[in-house]
Amino acid sequence: MDKIIQIKNLTKQYKDLKAIDNLTMEVRKEEILGLLGPNGSGKSTTINCILSLLNFEQGEIKIFGKEMKPDSYDIKAKIGMVFQEVAVLEELTVQENMDYFCGLYIKDKKTRQQYINEAIELVGLEEFRKFYPKQLSGGLLRRLNIACGIAHKPELIFLDEPTVAVDPQSRNHILDGIQKLRDRGATIVYTTHYMEEVEIICDRVIILDKGKVLASGTTDELKELAKIEEKITVEVNNLQPQYLEKIKKFESVDKVEYHGNILLITYQKGKNNMLDLMDYLKKENIKYNKIYSERPTLNDVFLELTGKELRD
Amino acid sequence: MTVFRAFLRVLNKGKATIILYTIILIFFGIFNMQTSENSTNFVASKPDILIINQDKEEGITKNLMDYLKENSQIVEIKEEEQAIDDALFYRDVNYIVYIPKNYRQDFLAGKNPEIQIKSTGDYQASFAQMMLERYIKVANSYQNNIKEETQLIQKINETLAKQTEVEITSQLDTDHLSKATFYYNFANYSLLAGCVFVICLVLASFKDYKITKRTMVSSMSYQEFNRKLLLSNCLFAVVLWIFYGLLSLVLIGEVMFSIHGLIYLVNSFVFTLCAVTIAFLIGNLIQNKNAINGIVNVVALGSCFLCGAFVPMDWLPDYVLKIAHILPSYYYIKNNEWIKELETINYETLKPIFQNLIIILLFASLFVFMTNMISKRKQKT
Repeated sequence: MDKIIQIKNLTKQYKDLKAIDNLTMEVRKEEILGLLGPNGSGKSTTINCILSLLNFEQGEIKIFGKEMKPDSYDIKAKIGMVFQEVAVLEELTVQENMDYFCGLYIKDKKTRQQYINEAIELVGLEEFRKFYPKQLSGGLLRRLNIACGIAHKPELIFLDEPTVAVDPQSRNHILDGIQKLRDRGATIVYTTHYMEEVEIICDRVIILDKGKVLASGTTDELKELAKIEEKITVEVNNLQPQYLEKIKKFESVDKVEYHGNILLITYQKGKNNMLDLMDYLKKENIKYNKIYSERPTLNDVFLELTGKELRD
Repeated sequence: MTVFRAFLRVLNKGKATIILYTIILIFFGIFNMQTSENSTNFVASKPDILIINQDKEEGITKNLMDYLKENSQIVEIKEEEQAIDDALFYRDVNYIVYIPKNYRQDFLAGKNPEIQIKSTGDYQASFAQMMLERYIKVANSYQNNIKEETQLIQKINETLAKQTEVEITSQLDTDHLSKATFYYNFANYSLLAGCVFVICLVLASFKDYKITKRTMVSSMSYQEFNRKLLLSNCLFAVVLWIFYGLLSLVLIGEVMFSIHGLIYLVNSFVFTLCAVTIAFLIGNLIQNKNAINGIVNVVALGSCFLCGAFVPMDWLPDYVLKIAHILPSYYYIKNNEWIKELETINYETLKPIFQNLIIILLFASLFVFMTNMISKRKQKT
């Protein structure tokens, strides 16, 4: 089975608002699929429909080749869900929380204990087994939230913004853990606001807006969609407006911005615009501290496609 | 077992409160045992009386005053109307007797002189009234035939000296039944508070929106999860009822092994079932853990005060008892009061108790219905 999730023509409507508009997408086996989109783009609604937490007006959802329904407990047994909000029981310790949530799937005590140990090790909570959620920091709490969602070794895992408000150490731990899960054979659907996380861990990305797929592909494939090919940043003091005007007239320059002492020039074409720019700066005797070139990022693509910053 | 195990762990977090409710019950149970004494004979109580005599203190007037003094507590109050009215208002005195001028002379002349009185109108005052009327009736009946004052006084005193011996012939162990009624009336608070506290705490944890979502995506059916949670809560309530029942055996003793004891237990069991349904209804309405203690106080203490769990029903004003009719605690406590007075046990005497049990069960059904309605409404949203 190559396609783990198949969604065809999914439509979900809230009164007059179409939260998902004829959405068709698929998730392939053992991939990490990044689901990107601004707030209200339909990411969470799509996941909730896939998990049968929400009814939908039209469309078809198949998971592991079978139609997904609210009572498809055989399918649910193979799914792990990590919600954006931390969902653990305050009265239970780390170990007890994991035992409870894993117990909803795994009846055998020995197997469950083994799975819990592995999940605790994966998220790095070995030293906090007897801690209550209130005693954990935000980052550790997020790790517990993830551990509770994946302890039963699901084949398909949904992670809805698992790194929001997490310290860098916990974030790295979480990202490493997600990659390990994929390497062990799990398929992962990952939503996030952090573009750099997508570039690090996602094999494929789907960009959603207003309930529709705007683009999909690998990060490199998506970057090809960008109108710009190069961005050059120069750290320069007191640049006079006449120089900016001249730079704007360079071949294939798309945009010139100068804020503070940072000059940012975006080029529609070409990957070797740096030499021309340096020659010009030397000719005009303009002193600069730093100069560097970048390829367009996913954020640039996202901005072009949706007209919004990802974190809007 | 997963749900039950987690339920026990959450319950463990609330154990301090449950222990507190139990300690309060034990404390009041023991306190009641110390204060209650077995009483099979009757001792007349003495009202507080003020005598304002405007006649000379001799002959029949003196005899009347001596009789009143012997059978009441004579209080000293300034003989001014304002002071007397104040004393009546503050219950410093129950009854004022005004013996008019020339009372002795007029009485012996057969003029039946009028004695004026002032009274608080309470039962002590009624007793004083009865005492005075009794003296006058006896004195009048002899006055027609005996003209010699000393002989008349002697005859009156002989007749009044014949006190009626009152003996309670009931076979009921009233002392222990009163204790049992007090205990089970108070258990209204402990059972209701215990069930509402624990079930609300458990529901607030397990029915939290985020936890519910996590449960719904799991491979355990949500109906099965709900069933297990319901069973766990019911099991807790039954264990609590058994524990309080056993506690009553220890604190109250042998009367609990009689048929009366069995009826107390049945009554409290039916009420426990109703308490569970109340707790489920509240638990479905309130999801905030911080509000639970406040709700327990309003629901448990409120119904106890309104329905006579802490003070006898007879002491409560009529309008309070009318309001109490809308609460199941009223029927539970009413049953406890009836059980205490059950002289013979047969269908006729048990009928009103059964009727109240049915009313409690109807309340429970209503609460279940309301809980289901709220649950369905929540699921839709």
